[in-house]
Amino acid sequence: MKSEPDAASASREESVFNGALALPPEQRAAFMDSACGADAPLRARVDALLRAYGQSNGFLESSPRLTGPAATEISTMPGTEGPGDLIGPYKIREKLGEGGCGIVYVAEQSEPVRRRVALKVIKLGMDTRTVIARFEAERQALAMMDHPNIAKVLDAGTTANGRPYFVMELVRGIKITDYCDQHNLGTEERIRLFISVCHAVQHAHQKGIIHRDIKPSNILVTLHDSVPVPKVIDFGIAKATEGRLTNQTVYTQLYEFIGTPAYISPEQAEMSGLDIDTRSDIYSLGVLLYELLTGKTPFNSQELIDAGLDAMRRTIREKEPVAPSTCLSLMVDADLTATAKRRRSEAPRLVHLIKGDLDWIVMKAMEKDRTRRFETANALAADLHRFLTNEPVEARPPNNLYRLRKMIRRNRTTFAAISGIVAALILGLGVSLNLYFKEKDALRRTVQVEEEKRKEVEARLEMERKDRQFAEIGQKLWQAGVLMSQDRMADAENMIQDVPLIPQVAALYNVIGVVYARNGKLDAAITNYIKAATAQPTNEFFFDYLLPLLAQQHRYDEFSQWRRTALDRFAQTSDPALAERLALSCLLLPASDEETRRIITMLDTTASTPPRPAAELAGGLAEYRQGQFKRAAARLEPVVDNQQNTNAQNQARLILAMAKAKLAQPGRPDTVKQNEVFLHGPDWNEQMITAVLAREAENIGR
Amino acid sequence: MTDVTQLLRAIDNGDSKSAAQLLPLVYDELRRLAASKMAHEPAGQTLQATALVHEAWLRLTGGGDVQFSGRAHFFGAAAEAMRRILIDRARSKAAQRHGGGMARQDLDQIEIAAPLPNDELLALNDALEQLAAQDPQKAELVKLRFFAGLTIEQAADTLGISEPTAKRWWAYARAWLFDKCRPEK
Repeated sequence: MKSEPDAASASREESVFNGALALPPEQRAAFMDSACGADAPLRARVDALLRAYGQSNGFLESSPRLTGPAATEISTMPGTEGPGDLIGPYKIREKLGEGGCGIVYVAEQSEPVRRRVALKVIKLGMDTRTVIARFEAERQALAMMDHPNIAKVLDAGTTANGRPYFVMELVRGIKITDYCDQHNLGTEERIRLFISVCHAVQHAHQKGIIHRDIKPSNILVTLHDSVPVPKVIDFGIAKATEGRLTNQTVYTQLYEFIGTPAYISPEQAEMSGLDIDTRSDIYSLGVLLYELLTGKTPFNSQELIDAGLDAMRRTIREKEPVAPSTCLSLMVDADLTATAKRRRSEAPRLVHLIKGDLDWIVMKAMEKDRTRRFETANALAADLHRFLTNEPVEARPPNNLYRLRKMIRRNRTTFAAISGIVAALILGLGVSLNLYFKEKDALRRTVQVEEEKRKEVEARLEMERKDRQFAEIGQKLWQAGVLMSQDRMADAENMIQDVPLIPQVAALYNVIGVVYARNGKLDAAITNYIKAATAQPTNEFFFDYLLPLLAQQHRYDEFSQWRRTALDRFAQTSDPALAERLALSCLLLPASDEETRRIITMLDTTASTPPRPAAELAGGLAEYRQGQFKRAAARLEPVVDNQQNTNAQNQARLILAMAKAKLAQPGRPDTVKQNEVFLHGPDWNEQMITAVLAREAENIGR
Repeated sequence: MTDVTQLLRAIDNGDSKSAAQLLPLVYDELRRLAASKMAHEPAGQTLQATALVHEAWLRLTGGGDVQFSGRAHFFGAAAEAMRRILIDRARSKAAQRHGGGMARQDLDQIEIAAPLPNDELLALNDALEQLAAQDPQKAELVKLRFFAGLTIEQAADTLGISEPTAKRWWAYARAWLFDKCRPEK
């Protein structure tokens, strides 16, 4: 028995092992010579490990499986069925293929007609009787289907081994995605092929049949007189075999059987099992179109499976996939070039072609909320047709408010942290969107009045351009929102950097400003508040934050400038709350006589009896600024005694202290210490006002 | 909130008593799941350890919002439970072969298609115990990978280490265990 190495030499052993492994085999000997030196036992150990590593291929790589008792019997049975065997009245010929849920054979039928058919034997692990019963229930409807792009399902039964099988029209074709790639079909040809698929699915839907498992391997392309004809296979089979997906053993079964989770609609992923309708097929069609256009599925099947079931379900239900054109742009150059080449295009042209209309069509088909998808497969086909003939498509990007709501729903916990502000954000966006739509309506009316055909076309193009531009801005705002929800404020700031300062962005700058301020990054907060106030000058709240921030940061020139702007805009207000808050902020630093008079007039015109404490506080500060220290004290004393509002109380106490100091009254009454400021509370700007006043009081006392 | 969710939360707050309670719960659930599945499934159904562990996770926690560290505790416990189930099974088989007649257990109807024969599985277990004494974290990685069927990525996540580190550890641990289990080959 070898003696066990102690911990220190074990870690030495490990690092030499890792070092050697990182090198090509021929360089390892030299490396070992220098790394181990004279330490022969170490050398021997690492050599043994490297040898073991070389032989351990596959060791521990697959985890254990549990197998039912009869498994060995069946798997040792030489070929469950093979060429020459009879299944029902069908004689098996060759194996056609093997999929996730069964093996497909070419078989020969002699009665009532002699023909070749495709026969699919469902793999083990299914309750045959249920499957057959389900199939029988739909048999009538299946028989009614008659469409050149649908492979008919002819029969179903039970094999001698007790497994269910289905008989279908024999289609010798290849997967639609493979066909398109092998023949380098251009985007337009791909779309035409896809439109035929939509029509086939529509036909089935009209007969009351939902496919439930639309994916490339279920759509085969054959050539008829060198014209490609797509055929949808397996109609009615998913429904019959889905029983196992609906009971409580669902998770493991799904895990074992599903080959392509990328094509599953969110409601199927939900697996309540009860409520699947034609719109699930529309979703899968959307995924198929996505793959035809980009060569990729919106979610990677392998990643979905690897992530585990709950993560998989969550992804399919909640994660918004990137648009097809974005998916292309995100590819590495070589991949994108190859993808474009397979579509007889160049990289930039392909991205440009897909961006916009096709993005919207695909994303509309793949909406998580099925009520927002295309109503029918035909509607999807029609919109694609509109795209091909350069007509405006009906699929439009969802409006920003809707996106924002969805985003907030998804990120509820993170958003809760800044929930108060989010309300303002939605409100801001909602209001400005409203304005936008009004403007758009006005434009549309103008167009109607002008009647002239040419002008109408131009106006429509103009409208579309505006729509697009707005959609782009909306996209950026939305992405910024997502970044913000992940606390990536700097990235969010970058994202909206080149968005013009329209009112819609103000709310976002506001949120970024708050977060910076609460994290003590006051200058960064100021930058964002200046943008917010520029973008939406009618919102007085921004000045409540901006002015105290500037005062706190000793940015006096800018303070004066923004104070003037604020007074020009709001001095005429009749809203007492606005007047009081603005007066207090504006008077944080001494103002010119003229400005002080304007502030006092503003306070006086909104004054009420009995006077509100906030008005008295602002008034007291105004008296103080005019050198009326006694009057200031008289107005401030009651505010200090008012227990309602601690912030106002503190602020009044500070101004009172300053007034008394000026009056040379002995002793400095209780000042508030400057460092008692907590920016984390929702009233951080109030506390900042307190801090500015405290600083001034401190200086007087000196 | 389920019991297990509560336990996970308690473990997170440093309650070691809860950690001791978690393993038996997970162990029982996995045994029960495996047995009931095999009993009710048609012949020949196979079930991956990974799938079993994930289903246990969904059943015991409702798949709901469990803190990340909670997941780590759970998968650690599940890997340990799977190890015990498999090793118990391999031992009882070995005992039967050597003439030790035993009462049938619920798991006796289940074949374990471990990618290793029984004796090698037992040898691996011994080697793993030696590795655990010397380097518990690498042993834990092997358990998560092999017995709970987590991917490198998921195991790295669970252990809170980077993926490259996990890959290096995995290479080393595999070579180490292979060397211990099959020194003659």
